[in-house]
Amino acid sequence: MKIINSAHAGTLESSDVYIQINPLDKDTVEIELESSVKELYGEMIEELIKNTLKDMSVSSVHVKAQDKGAMDLVIKARLQAAILRACECDPVWEELS
Amino acid sequence: MKLRRSMLFVPGANTAMVCNAYVYKPDTVMFDLEDSVALAEKDSARLMVYHALKHFAYQDIETAVRVNPLDSPYGLLDLEAVVRAGTDIVRLPKTDTVADVLDMQAAIEKIEKKIGRTKKTQLLAAIESAEGVVNAVDIARCTDRLMGIALGAEDYVRDIRTQRTKEGNELTAARAQILLAARAAKIHAFDSVFSDVRDKDGFIAEVKKIKNLGFDGKSLVNPNQIYLLHNIYAPTQKEIEWAFEVIEAAEHAKKNGLGVVSIDGRMVDAPIIARAEFTLDLARTSGLIGEDDE
Amino acid sequence: MESTIKFTQFESTNVRRVKKVKQFLAENNLDLSPDIEVFVVGKEGDKMIACGGLSGKVLKCIAVANERRGEGLILKVMTQLLNAAYNRNQKELFLFSTPKNIEFFEDCGFRLIEECEDEIILMENTKKLQKYQRKLASLKKDGTVIGTIVMNANPFTLGHRYLVEEASKRSDWLHLFVVREDASEFKFADRIELIKKGISDLKNVTIHEGSDYIISKATFPTYFIKDKGMVNELHAKLDLNVFRNQLAAYLGITHRFVGTEPYCKVTNNYNQNMKKILEEKNDKSAPINVVEIDRIEFDKQAISASRVRRLLKEKNYEELASIVPATTLEFLKANYEDYK
Repeated sequence: MKIINSAHAGTLESSDVYIQINPLDKDTVEIELESSVKELYGEMIEELIKNTLKDMSVSSVHVKAQDKGAMDLVIKARLQAAILRACECDPVWEELS
Repeated sequence: MKLRRSMLFVPGANTAMVCNAYVYKPDTVMFDLEDSVALAEKDSARLMVYHALKHFAYQDIETAVRVNPLDSPYGLLDLEAVVRAGTDIVRLPKTDTVADVLDMQAAIEKIEKKIGRTKKTQLLAAIESAEGVVNAVDIARCTDRLMGIALGAEDYVRDIRTQRTKEGNELTAARAQILLAARAAKIHAFDSVFSDVRDKDGFIAEVKKIKNLGFDGKSLVNPNQIYLLHNIYAPTQKEIEWAFEVIEAAEHAKKNGLGVVSIDGRMVDAPIIARAEFTLDLARTSGLIGEDDE
Repeated sequence: MESTIKFTQFESTNVRRVKKVKQFLAENNLDLSPDIEVFVVGKEGDKMIACGGLSGKVLKCIAVANERRGEGLILKVMTQLLNAAYNRNQKELFLFSTPKNIEFFEDCGFRLIEECEDEIILMENTKKLQKYQRKLASLKKDGTVIGTIVMNANPFTLGHRYLVEEASKRSDWLHLFVVREDASEFKFADRIELIKKGISDLKNVTIHEGSDYIISKATFPTYFIKDKGMVNELHAKLDLNVFRNQLAAYLGITHRFVGTEPYCKVTNNYNQNMKKILEEKNDKSAPINVVEIDRIEFDKQAISASRVRRLLKEKNYEELASIVPATTLEFLKANYEDYK
């Protein structure tokens, strides 16, 4: 999936995550993570983001995530929503598990 | 029959609620993708509900999703998501005719077939207009998949061109029709939400009223309401005593090969026995009887 | 369903709604900033309980009704504002508010740049200030007197030339910052070009392209709204504090040069504040000397950019030649033949 636009999803409220997606020139995934639990869970969250992107075949993107203690399912959902908004395409459910 | 007293409405875009609703143990968790979700957030909420439904926390509790109407840009996408994610029930908003139900059923069947899901997703039809009320009986009977019908008071009242009041007289006709239709078709009947979460007394009064009318349960907007509602729906001590007696009599008749069950010289037939079993189930769930009582 | 609080967004062209926001802000002891482009409003039923505004890349006028604090409404307002900014392609944002709200906004990813008089704070949601500071540090020059001028030059006149020349004479090195905001007649690209041409003979000057941190819509919004007669002293002070505490040290600035300002009320007020704020002792940075240099005159009138514009309209090239350098005159003739 090619990211052509910028997009965002989520909110700044507790238990949620605010995700901003930007296209990138290089073929790499950049993650900027702000989280109240960064020390404990930062790596796990980044791993989750990377895997979710991989499942959606996104190899080039800049992700900024402001996490307010969101559960994995929320991070996934918001990230997927932002990616789909950025590509303006419909969900391919097999990629979104 | 599955207990369905409390159906907790969870706005699909509200992260905290989506993640925590199961903790409050309502009989059913109803994720909403329709009216409580802004248009710009429909896609995001859909994905959240999709993932929530698949989460292990929601495997042990009954789940339902209120999807957008099929004739909106969102309805079909909602179905794709929630049927795949394994929701137990799909709630149709604004059900006016039998066709509405059958169309929804067809759309769901198509998806189930595509993904190879054998468990049939059930339907719950929300009736929110005069036409829907008038067609309630036909709607209630039109398919096996329909497990209940519910009243959507807000839109209904607007449709019949009046205002909502505390006493609720404007809902009398609708409640009666829906309840009767549900009973005739042997499915559940649900009452509408009580939105003033600060008015505890008002809520209790309304629950007592609709319980008396025969409704199986009610849609709720706040976890605080669950506890109150379950208390009101709990059987009274008198009812529990009677239920025990009925079950005892039934077992006695069975043991002694008697054709008819009777208490104090009066016949107790199958529906009464079923009712007694239900009462005891309810009593158990409400924590009113423990193992020692049985 | 659960809550009856609804958030809406609308543009400043919606006069009726803006009026209501103004009232709400007044009830919360805040002024409505006239440059806001998009408003976000939270209402419960008919009652306004929260609001916020976006102007370019600056979030401001953010307020939550007193009796509704502590419910996380500020996060909802901020989400809406970020969304609005994002939809307008503004991702790197600044924010104005009052000091008591610092923690809330840190929660939204903003970092404090500067606080002023316990009344106003400026924050940003990126690490751009740090990057800028590093960049400045790399341009530091040695010397005892390191001067600076912040200049708009709309366009570059002999008056400007005189100021720069004097400052250059009196300094070991001079750092000249050109205000970047394109809120003037002459575009930034042209203004800086004219400055470069006009002082090409001076050997100890570095010309810096202005940033968001020096007289910009982010640090000093009312500077750009001067038509409305609004002089917000607090903003002026904030801008000066940012300059002194966050930037000057990286270049080792010891002196700031300004021309005396007889005409523009906003600039004059700014200069007065400048003396006070840059020269007083504070815990964060070394004081900076402010040197006011009298404007030169031509024909007993101060040379001002507005005079230039007037003469240009009149096509009075003769008088123009006496108040702008040849390089500027050439440019004006070539590009502003039909100036109205």
